[in-house]
Amino acid sequence: MMSPETQDIEQATTAITEEAPPDRKTRRYDRQLRLWAATGQAALESAHLLVLSSSATSTSILKNLVLPGVGAFTILDNAVVTPADAGNNFFLEGPESIGKPRAQEAVRLLEELNEGVRGHADLRNVEQLLSAGKSELFKYTLVIAHNLPQSQVERLSQLLWEDDDAPPLVIVRSAGFLAEIFIQQHEHTIIESHSETAPSLRIDKPFPALLQYAQALDLDALDPTDHAHVPYVILLVKAMEKWKQEHNGLPPQTYAEKKAFKEAISNMKRKIDEENFEEAEAQAYRSWTETKVPSEVAELFDDPKVQTLNASTPPFFYLLAALKKFAAQPPYTLPLSSTLPDMKASTDTYIGLQKLYKDQAEQERNIFKSFISPGVRIDDDLIDSFVKNAHALKVIRGTSWNSIDKNTIALGNAAATSPKQLAIHLALSAASCLASKAPAPSQGELPVFTIEALTQEAQSLLPPGVELPEEFEFTAGEIARSPTADLPNTAALLGGLVAQEVIKMVTKQYIPIAGICTVDLIETWTGIL
Amino acid sequence: MATIGNGSATADWPGRYFHIDQILDKPGPRTDPGFSAGAEARFKLSFRKPFIVWKVEVKAFLRDQAKILVIGAGGLGCEILANLALTGFKDIHVIDMDTIDISNLNRQFLFRSKDVGKSKANVAAEFIMKRVPGVKVTPYFGKIQDKDDDYYMQFHLVICGLDSVEARRWINATLVNLVDPENPESLKPLIDGGTEGFKGQARVILPTITSCYECSLDMLNKQTVFPICTIANTPRLPEHCIEWASVLEWPRIYGDKKMDTDNPDHISWLYKTASARAKEFNIEGVTWSLTQGVVKNIIPAIASTNAIIAAACCNEAFKIATSSAACLNNYFMLIGTDSVYSYTFEHEKRSDCPVCGGESLDFPISRDLTVEELIEMLTEKQDIQIKKPSLSAPTKQIYFQAPPQLEQATRPNLEKKVSELIPEGGEITVTASTLPFSLSLNVIYT
Ligand SMILES: [Zn+2]
Repeated sequence: MMSPETQDIEQATTAITEEAPPDRKTRRYDRQLRLWAATGQAALESAHLLVLSSSATSTSILKNLVLPGVGAFTILDNAVVTPADAGNNFFLEGPESIGKPRAQEAVRLLEELNEGVRGHADLRNVEQLLSAGKSELFKYTLVIAHNLPQSQVERLSQLLWEDDDAPPLVIVRSAGFLAEIFIQQHEHTIIESHSETAPSLRIDKPFPALLQYAQALDLDALDPTDHAHVPYVILLVKAMEKWKQEHNGLPPQTYAEKKAFKEAISNMKRKIDEENFEEAEAQAYRSWTETKVPSEVAELFDDPKVQTLNASTPPFFYLLAALKKFAAQPPYTLPLSSTLPDMKASTDTYIGLQKLYKDQAEQERNIFKSFISPGVRIDDDLIDSFVKNAHALKVIRGTSWNSIDKNTIALGNAAATSPKQLAIHLALSAASCLASKAPAPSQGELPVFTIEALTQEAQSLLPPGVELPEEFEFTAGEIARSPTADLPNTAALLGGLVAQEVIKMVTKQYIPIAGICTVDLIETWTGIL
Repeated sequence: MATIGNGSATADWPGRYFHIDQILDKPGPRTDPGFSAGAEARFKLSFRKPFIVWKVEVKAFLRDQAKILVIGAGGLGCEILANLALTGFKDIHVIDMDTIDISNLNRQFLFRSKDVGKSKANVAAEFIMKRVPGVKVTPYFGKIQDKDDDYYMQFHLVICGLDSVEARRWINATLVNLVDPENPESLKPLIDGGTEGFKGQARVILPTITSCYECSLDMLNKQTVFPICTIANTPRLPEHCIEWASVLEWPRIYGDKKMDTDNPDHISWLYKTASARAKEFNIEGVTWSLTQGVVKNIIPAIASTNAIIAAACCNEAFKIATSSAACLNNYFMLIGTDSVYSYTFEHEKRSDCPVCGGESLDFPISRDLTVEELIEMLTEKQDIQIKKPSLSAPTKQIYFQAPPQLEQATRPNLEKKVSELIPEGGEITVTASTLPFSLSLNVIYT
């Protein structure tokens, strides 16, 4: 009577017991596989990234993506290494690199970091890339642009915003100690968000097998050792059944009742130091807190894509639609999770309880599966992962880069709620505008941005009547001080932050930023705008 | 003038510091004059001179005089060395006792496959000197405890990228002890970084002035410890089976033979032993990787988090050495799992900190507590965490871990109640061989 699923588990278990020491690749990536597992690694290894420019910031970003093993990267840059580049970029060989194509030098030195990664240098300039059209861009998984001139970043973002399935664009701007990061994406869905909130054990709504098990257990008949090893889940289910019988079928309502319920549990102890009863008291709130669909997940049920499923809808939304149907039925919850946290118990009672949860979770998973629109083929692993992480699903809907500075109302609101963050964004935007108006300075020269000009430019981005945040004076002063400085430390910090966000985007694990992430390395803080 | 120095001038090509000089050629709107005065005393810079003179002196200090020590050449250390070299520090020292392992290569970017087995400090130093011309990196392949006060006295700044709490406590206490109020140069700013997966922190410690590492011990994540009785009698998780294999079965089978968690044969034995126990108890989930993770207490580590934290540390070093902007006061914490969350705050100095506080710690205990139980408390309490402590009172010895004769002589006290040995309000001095300081407890009976 073995179902195909249990056979799989049997085979998997046999495979585990014969597991050999890990291969070279697994050993190399061990410390990161513990964060994003083989699935995340596979996603990373099949990604091909395009990076526009090989500035110190760009190579720092790439370093942190080549090391963990991104599949491939391309640097598009027509610049020749200057003395300044040779001074601030670790992926150039000092004076020896001066005069050579910067992208080529950077690719050669970045490739040394990991034999498994392929790098390409594209020596065209951004104009040539943009005029080559979309298809050039669409072969990449994701595009990263650091300190691109305003007109180029606008055209690039426009090209990548026109289509829903265009690669995401990460825009990075920095000057001296200040910086910002923005991810332009239409939609990003996350199953494995790695939430720290554990799914409900549904103690308040015990499933039949759990209730039966708890009711059948006679605590008085147990010997002292067994009595001290009944898992708290069982104790709570038992205590709550008794309470409800005595209180018209209702759980404790008031503070006094909740206290009384806890006392009732404490009175069930035979000895004062029975840890399982102590755990039950500490976890008592779980038995009267109603298990419902978490509000953030319930909100996703109203997502427009759930209402209009069609052939081009991604599997995520088909699964979300099935989840909505599942949650509309008693007991009005998400499918049960099969993961049981550790608790004071004997091996047998714990493993027995774990089996009850696993069996019920399996049943509910099958019910969930039956709600998936027929005719859609979805991989079993994806279904399992979706069910397992149902309590922490995420959908991020982004905006286009072009719309940010045009949304004067949002900028006006930000002036009140996030003045420091807004000051950085406005100062960088103002500098970008000024640079686009003035002729480019020659090599080794600095553009001159006065605080007055920056202030005027920034003020024009805000709606009439909204004043620049007080902090703007400082940020503008910093931009005026170091308008084009790609500082090694700022570059390294952005290298880490951007790589981290790219890893989250590519693996679809953890939660990337939504909005603009601003960085101030004078006061050493980051903040989301 | 800034580029005329001892040897380094030959390596400085025109335009080399185009980016950094944008910061050093002009003061910023938030450059803190008060802070400059402090740096002035420490680094013998004269900030009160006209700016044109100041900037020349700052550059000369950074590029010709500043001597900086990096502790750790691992995940953070590699990043720190590269950043310091690029920002213009020319005299860098690095200490690390470890050798390179294949599992380092996913983030420790100065190392290649061919370097596996070699000293981290040596390989890292060589790589930096080859890549960044004119920078001198002096490696030391050994322990920080090998070096004395005179050694630490020669540096202007210390940056720590360590994964060991013990080593951090040691260097922190050493630098606090080094402070001589008569000699401003004896105050060595300590910049400390740490990471774990997508999380990390960077902080600036001005010994005796700001809160120190010891002040914040209670902020450390508590390590999960599985009770021996669970491991022995009621295993429920795969981790319990692995602990059983390493803690109970290994000594039973191999006696005094030391387990080496870097030896694949040993891990293999533990894995098989744990798997067999798991099978016996119907427990699922023992894998090779989990076995290794549990016995080596592996902490996930990635290049990106290390890059962020190391950059934050080096940015503080740069700001302190050049006073181009005020430095972090004093703690930056980062969580990168859900968006980018960070928190910058001032961690408060503890007046009863055993290293920098000066006051003894009020320590309420029961009259029935035995010396042995007190020792257990000292080991476990979040803000103390002293492993293998020795205890003494002003007039008598209570318990000593070593030497053996003294241990034997004081052992009978273990079973005695503390209240039999120490009066109310009495003082107990706690020491440990791993820590260069002692802790004074003010006993209060409850
Ligand atoms: Zn302290």
